[in-house]
Amino acid sequence: MRKNSSIPPIRVLTGNEALVLGALRARVKVATGYPGTPSSGALASLLKMDLGDDRHVEWSVNEKVAFEIAAGAAWAGQRALCTMKMSGLSVAADAVYSIAYSGVNGGLVIYVADDSGVSAGMCEQDSRLYAAMFDLPMLEPASVAEAYKLTQIAFDLSEQTGSPVFVRLVTSIANAHAPVEIEEPLSPEKREVILERDITKYTKAGSAICMDQHRDLIARLEQAGQVIHEMGLNELQLAPSAGGLGIVASGIAAAYLEEGFEILERNQVFSKQSGKNLVSTLRVVSTHPFPAAEVRALLNHCDTVLVLEELEPHLEKSIYVEAHKIGFEGRIIGKLDGTFSRSGEYGVEQVVRGVSEALGVKETWFFEKNQVSDVAEQLTAARPITVCAGCPHRGTYMAVNQALKKLKFKKDEVMVTGDIGCTILGMNPPFHTVWNEVSMGTSVSLAQGYVHAGIETPVIATIGDSTFFHGGIPGLINAIQHQVPLTLIILDNGWTSMTGMQTNPGTDEAFQPPGSHRVDIAKLIPALGVDQFFIIDPFDLEDSAATIQKCLALSGVKVVLARQECAIQAQRRGLAAGKTKVIPQECTLCKQCVVVTGCPAISLAEDTIVIDHAQCYGCGLCAQVCKFDAIEWEAAK
Amino acid sequence: MKYDIYLVGVGGQGVLTIGDLITEAAARQRIPVSFYPTKGMAQRGGAVKARLRLGREFAGPNIPERGADLVIAMERSEALKAVRFIKPGGDFVLFGHVWAPTAVMLGKEDYPTLEQVREQVQEAGGKMHYLAPKDLPLYEGGPVAANVYVLGAALGHTSLKEILDQSEAANLVQARWAKGAERNELAFQAGLGPMFEGEREF
Repeated sequence: MRKNSSIPPIRVLTGNEALVLGALRARVKVATGYPGTPSSGALASLLKMDLGDDRHVEWSVNEKVAFEIAAGAAWAGQRALCTMKMSGLSVAADAVYSIAYSGVNGGLVIYVADDSGVSAGMCEQDSRLYAAMFDLPMLEPASVAEAYKLTQIAFDLSEQTGSPVFVRLVTSIANAHAPVEIEEPLSPEKREVILERDITKYTKAGSAICMDQHRDLIARLEQAGQVIHEMGLNELQLAPSAGGLGIVASGIAAAYLEEGFEILERNQVFSKQSGKNLVSTLRVVSTHPFPAAEVRALLNHCDTVLVLEELEPHLEKSIYVEAHKIGFEGRIIGKLDGTFSRSGEYGVEQVVRGVSEALGVKETWFFEKNQVSDVAEQLTAARPITVCAGCPHRGTYMAVNQALKKLKFKKDEVMVTGDIGCTILGMNPPFHTVWNEVSMGTSVSLAQGYVHAGIETPVIATIGDSTFFHGGIPGLINAIQHQVPLTLIILDNGWTSMTGMQTNPGTDEAFQPPGSHRVDIAKLIPALGVDQFFIIDPFDLEDSAATIQKCLALSGVKVVLARQECAIQAQRRGLAAGKTKVIPQECTLCKQCVVVTGCPAISLAEDTIVIDHAQCYGCGLCAQVCKFDAIEWEAAK
Repeated sequence: MKYDIYLVGVGGQGVLTIGDLITEAAARQRIPVSFYPTKGMAQRGGAVKARLRLGREFAGPNIPERGADLVIAMERSEALKAVRFIKPGGDFVLFGHVWAPTAVMLGKEDYPTLEQVREQVQEAGGKMHYLAPKDLPLYEGGPVAANVYVLGAALGHTSLKEILDQSEAANLVQARWAKGAERNELAFQAGLGPMFEGEREF
């Protein structure tokens, strides 16, 4: 990498940015990933940097592919990073399991981001359990600054033990900004590429090989545990006298300890005699492997243990086992005794509640005093999210709805499966088009299940471009092979929009990363053997609705490609689809435009609608539903 | 000094820019800071919130209920979501913009009145500072950016002025938008400036 002297020593960074800067400092050579909130900011920030020619960074087609590329680089002896959200880890899991068995040569770090408290909408998955299943070490920063440091440690640990290593962040670290002391990034080491032919390491051919690899895997994890122990990564602080309270806190939960202690002191729960000086703490940074030695020391020193960890009682269960082994007779406070929930984020409240419980202070003191009424929130106006002004998906949903109406179907008679990304917004008002959302690509296969279940009405599947590339293609191939009667609508806006406008294989050639080549869905579908293939312009409502209507009457597999660029991206380049103009004298305020399009650029004034031209992209859909010619539309020249 | 700020509004109002500017100003003053924004999925029109924690070396990003020294709300209905976070005696700055969801526009759903919001803030013990959108100063005939105006108001009239240096913040506003420097200077100074007639209350 070229020396970038413009990087000052202290910068305000997000956890995502700190993590990749840590990887650059650790001389990472290859970085891959698939966008997914809250992890997207990591690779996105790398792609914005001038990294020179000796590193490779890419958005891959999905997490499994991303991981396999990173693993290939690590097998060849280079340092590699792979980034994903928790759902993506399930996509990559098959490969991760196998690579875990084989081990790696160059350092391989997998960054996975969990979303406890669900800020973005997906499962409240606890990826720590994956680390346990794979027998792979996992490090968990408790702050933005720690994300920077621990990523570097993760690379070293990976190479020391020959094991891929996870770094796990939760949303409130990944997307939080804080000042971090940063050192200069370092160029990748000049390493000879390793070309090693060894089927006992690089294949799973036969029982002997697999069993040996399994034993090696277990040994590597044990070694990782020892290295972590010797580094003192998990901070154990025993109180001067024995018999008190011991707190085990991991990840973000540890970040709230000090603040909780302050509240406990202020409210005299911690008195001068039984203050926080009598509390022992164990800050767990390696959530896997389990820090048994430190936990044993804590159990031997304390008579009550409080476990603070978000989501699953992962550490807590192992603490019970350890307690059983050494005959610990005290209390363990956590989720398994019913004190805390397995759902939601942890904050200062859990520290206060847990310590109060441990000290036998009626814990309601804090919460009664701080009782907050729900009335304010009940008065809030619901703000269901909808597609942006100018979004081409609006036209597609309107066309589906119109086609169904023309065929005299009621809304709840025709299954329209949905998928991940912006396209799912078709579930919300005013469209109510899409019924479900499962995982990347599911819409295409789920629809086939509905067909085989014996549904007699037509079945429609909807999916976005990036999601189609990611996981939709196998489902479509399956439908073609088995000739399942369904209509697949691919809403192709050319970008991976929901996660912040990343490129994908279908992005226009002009915006592909240097040296990359576009894969055109319009060429792909016929090549798969789909004869009934139609391309529509979602801004042309009449034609789009007619095409979909026609498809619903045909048998076999039909694919409709609804194609218009994401309006946000087009607007950023100063483009518009057209121009709208309201003719106030003609407007009867029938509100049809608002009811059908739900466009955020339209609002109501005294006796006419108004269009906010700062938002309007000129898609003209409102003009197409107006029955009174109150909206004029002119195509862009 | 430890100081927590809770920000709410709607995507497109520049709520997160306020957070960004405060973070940058704090970092320049070497005040430890954590800024944790959450935006909805939509680019515009979705609920946005952010938590700012100043003065803590090692801080969890979330602010406990009744923990915020200052709330800055940029939209009337969204303001209600911040009520549970205001500390008794804390400053609650409300810019009373109304961004009506479609259902409200169509008359199918209710939208909270200013009085309702005021009542909730007062019940929670918050000190209400109301800024009417119609008082937003004009520059060359058009209203200035509300977020810069509101940031100025928070710096001029709430406890935030004891934490952050006003001129440092003013410099940051200047540096941020090279193009609209004069317009933003006007917005910031108008916010900062003394009370004037009308619905602006401090």
